[in-house]
Amino acid sequence: MRFRTFFPMLPGCAVLVLGFGAQAASLSVSVTDLAGHPVPDAVVMLEPASGKLPVKPLPVVEVGQMQRQFNPRVTVITVGTPVGFPNYDTVRHHVYSFSPIKPFELKLYAGVPSAPLVFDKPGIAVLGCNIHDQMAAWIVVVDTPHYARTSAEGQARLDNISAGAYKLRAWYAGMGHGEDPVSQALTVAAGDMTANMKLPDAAP
Amino acid sequence: MKRAPIVLLAGAFRAWMHRSLGARIVALSLSLLLVVQVVSFVAIRNSIDHNARASIADQLEVGERVLHHVLEQNAQKLSDGATLLAADYGFRSAVNSDDVPTIASVLSNHGDRIGASVAVLLDNGFRVRASGRPDLQPLNGVIAKLALHANAARRHSEIALIDHKPFQFVMVPMRAPVVVGWVLMGFPIDLGLLDNMRDLSSLQVSLQARDNIRSAWKTALSTLPPEASPDVERQASARWPDINMSRSEALSLSLHGSEYSARAVLLNDEGAVSALLMRSVDGAVAPYLHLQWGLIVLTLLSVVVIGSGSVLTARHVTAPIHTLVAAAERLGAGDYDTPLGGQQRRDEIGMLAHSFERMRVSIAGHQQEILKLAYWDSLTGLPNRTQFRNATQDAIAAARTRKTRSVAIVMLDLDRFKLVNDLLGYPFGDMMLKSVAERLSQQAVRGGDLVARLDGDEFAILLTDLETVGDMALARSVAQRIGDAFGVPLTLEEQTVDMSASIGMAVWPHHAADTDTLLSRAEAAMYQAKRLAQGPTMYDPAHDATGTQTLSLLSELRHALAHGELRLYLQPKLALNTAHVVGAEALMRWQHPQRGLVAPMDFIPFAEQTGFIRLLTLWIFEEAARLWQVLNTTGVTLTFSVNLSTRDLLDPELQQTFEAVLVRHAVPAEAFCLEITESSIMDDPQRALATLDRLSGMGFRLSIDDFGTGYSSLAYLKRLPVNELKIDKSFVLNMEKDADDARIVRSTIDLAHGMGLMVVAEGVENAQVWDLLRELSCDEAQGFYMGKPMPAHEFARWCSGWTANHKSINTKPFGADSTFILH
Repeated sequence: MRFRTFFPMLPGCAVLVLGFGAQAASLSVSVTDLAGHPVPDAVVMLEPASGKLPVKPLPVVEVGQMQRQFNPRVTVITVGTPVGFPNYDTVRHHVYSFSPIKPFELKLYAGVPSAPLVFDKPGIAVLGCNIHDQMAAWIVVVDTPHYARTSAEGQARLDNISAGAYKLRAWYAGMGHGEDPVSQALTVAAGDMTANMKLPDAAP
Repeated sequence: MKRAPIVLLAGAFRAWMHRSLGARIVALSLSLLLVVQVVSFVAIRNSIDHNARASIADQLEVGERVLHHVLEQNAQKLSDGATLLAADYGFRSAVNSDDVPTIASVLSNHGDRIGASVAVLLDNGFRVRASGRPDLQPLNGVIAKLALHANAARRHSEIALIDHKPFQFVMVPMRAPVVVGWVLMGFPIDLGLLDNMRDLSSLQVSLQARDNIRSAWKTALSTLPPEASPDVERQASARWPDINMSRSEALSLSLHGSEYSARAVLLNDEGAVSALLMRSVDGAVAPYLHLQWGLIVLTLLSVVVIGSGSVLTARHVTAPIHTLVAAAERLGAGDYDTPLGGQQRRDEIGMLAHSFERMRVSIAGHQQEILKLAYWDSLTGLPNRTQFRNATQDAIAAARTRKTRSVAIVMLDLDRFKLVNDLLGYPFGDMMLKSVAERLSQQAVRGGDLVARLDGDEFAILLTDLETVGDMALARSVAQRIGDAFGVPLTLEEQTVDMSASIGMAVWPHHAADTDTLLSRAEAAMYQAKRLAQGPTMYDPAHDATGTQTLSLLSELRHALAHGELRLYLQPKLALNTAHVVGAEALMRWQHPQRGLVAPMDFIPFAEQTGFIRLLTLWIFEEAARLWQVLNTTGVTLTFSVNLSTRDLLDPELQQTFEAVLVRHAVPAEAFCLEITESSIMDDPQRALATLDRLSGMGFRLSIDDFGTGYSSLAYLKRLPVNELKIDKSFVLNMEKDADDARIVRSTIDLAHGMGLMVVAEGVENAQVWDLLRELSCDEAQGFYMGKPMPAHEFARWCSGWTANHKSINTKPFGADSTFILH
């Protein structure tokens, strides 16, 4: 699985918004699938076309297991964020991931494992439970401060985007394992911008 | 030309069939049975064959489904195994290590665990990531196919060749936890699968593989023995080469001489692998062989059963027919008394037997009637001639065995029966006969004696088993008794008739040696009695003109007549007053070659009885006419006398015959004098009279011979057209001594003269008689004194000698003048 950097997209709408000359643009991204249906829980990232923006790790994020499911299913963290995997179920779980960004294995445990794991590589990791095949979660590790998750309507908003050339990248779990996020070049200008991302389904 | 034995056999068979009804019945039943059996056998066999094949076709179809199912089951098992394997954590973590050799080793390791010799890891795009084996090229098609069905609910499998060996491939997703890739596993198809298939379906399975659609099929695996493989390959290649043919095809194969029905199922879309499902037709038919053998046995049994049944039926039908045939033959042989069998049956044969029996009874009845008619006289109820003759024969045979025994026949003939019939009518005559029969039956008192009616008015009594001593006396006494019984007049319907009969007797062994001779001798005796009008007469050979001599005598007479053994003799008649020769009596002599001169007494009566006399009379007449003509030409004119018999008088053609003779010799009728006896008229007076009238009318002179003896009737004398009387010699012979005779002669001469008739005296044997006759005015004389009967050629000479000697003597009485030459 190769990892592509996000392209930050300059909000084009910023230019339209009276040309404040403001450097903070916002981007409303509407994510739909190929049929036009809104895609909830899609991850949207904006990465500069070149270079990297500084990213701060989040505080400990929890991906818990309750009722034999990961909760949340899709977690977006920045690089370096430690993730904890508390087991709120009465049964034990054996959480693992073979994803290259962070292969790990938490052998059968109950309660909270001793230390959270730090995800220090950008990319998408898929987790599962070895003894519960239906348990699956995704941790999207982004390498840009500009990221969001779409709502149930498939809408996401990115703010405080400096103008410039960006790559707008979007992904959702339905794209299938190993698929790179869909990338779209975007020039952000001041103001609100909207973008549409059409995401393919996983190949049947 | 030699004919084939089969043709001869067929001919003989057909002849036998025609001869025997029983054989026909049997042959018909058996041939019908055989036809039915053969037809049903053939039909059943065909049906079995058809059904077996249809059944096999069904089986093959099912087998194909079973094969697909087995393969699917196998695929399910394999993918279950693969899935389980792909879920193994160790496997997943190894596979996700990104180290291709590690992955490859894990693949082959875990593959071996579940028997997959091919294990390939694919990514989500079905691109090969790692493989347990190096050569992946042949798998591309499989992967592509399986990828199409990757997300199907039911596990799909593909069959493909790896190194010319068939493999079954499955592809399962690897989840970690989502589908992160695919694992392709290939399992070699082993014989176990085919054996399982065969056990399930009882079909032989042969897995065929070929590299491409142009190459021949090669057997990869087979439940058949290896020797069969080349055959299978060859035939499969020949008959099912083209992939464009259907996915499955019905074939017919021949292996080791036995026929197989097969179904070829394509297992691989490229046409590289197919399964040949086979079923032996013979094997399928085999169970029915029992049925066929059973049918054959049944056929044979039924042939035996029906054969014997029809033989029995045939016997049942023909046996009564044989019985009836035998019965008919018995009837034919004359046995009418044995009853037929077979009348207890109610069926057609029984009816036939009944009819036969009725026929038999009827025939027996007819037979009785016939016997009655044959052996019994219907009018009187007495035995008839046939029975009498048979009884006589039996009696003689019995007497023969007992030695000193005799058999006698008393035969009687009613006198003047014809007269009674004419006068009183036939019914009366019948009644008379019946009463005669009654009277006779009363007379036959001895048991074993038989009274019979032989003929019209002829009866006979058979006296059997007489003691030889006194047999003739006994016969005589019986005959006398009978004669006395006849003495009582018969009164029928107020008519009283006097009956009398002529009775003759003959005794065996004295008078005859056999039956017929005895009968004819008794008859002869009877006729003798009738002729002489005397009482019961015993047979006397001396008087018998009948006998075995008879037949030969007749033929000798004929011979004599034809060969000139008969001689005309003449006895001169002289006028008493002039002593002239006035005529001659024509007499017959027989010069028999052996016996010499036969006396007339020995054959004339016989001739009279047999009717031969007519020929003799004619002969004499002819000869006399001839002689008369000869003499006439020499100037001698005489009257010749010819004797006529009864038969001559009754001959209606006598006149014509005589006429012809007269004409032939140019002799006038007046030259002849015809002599008849009174007795000869008596048999049929009317007819005799008529003949005499005609003869007299022709010019013949008529003379009554032997006058005074026999039936002398003056009444008839009155009516007869006679010209002269001849006094019988019995009166003339001794008239010079016997005064009574002399008186009779004188009376007769006077009577004759009184009636205007001439008188001739016969039997003049001396001069005294001559003189006496002259004195009595007799007209003519004939006798030994003047001349014996002499041959015709001597007569002429004698005549002239006599005339010469007596010319001068006219009226002188003869005295001692003995210059007569007596011839």
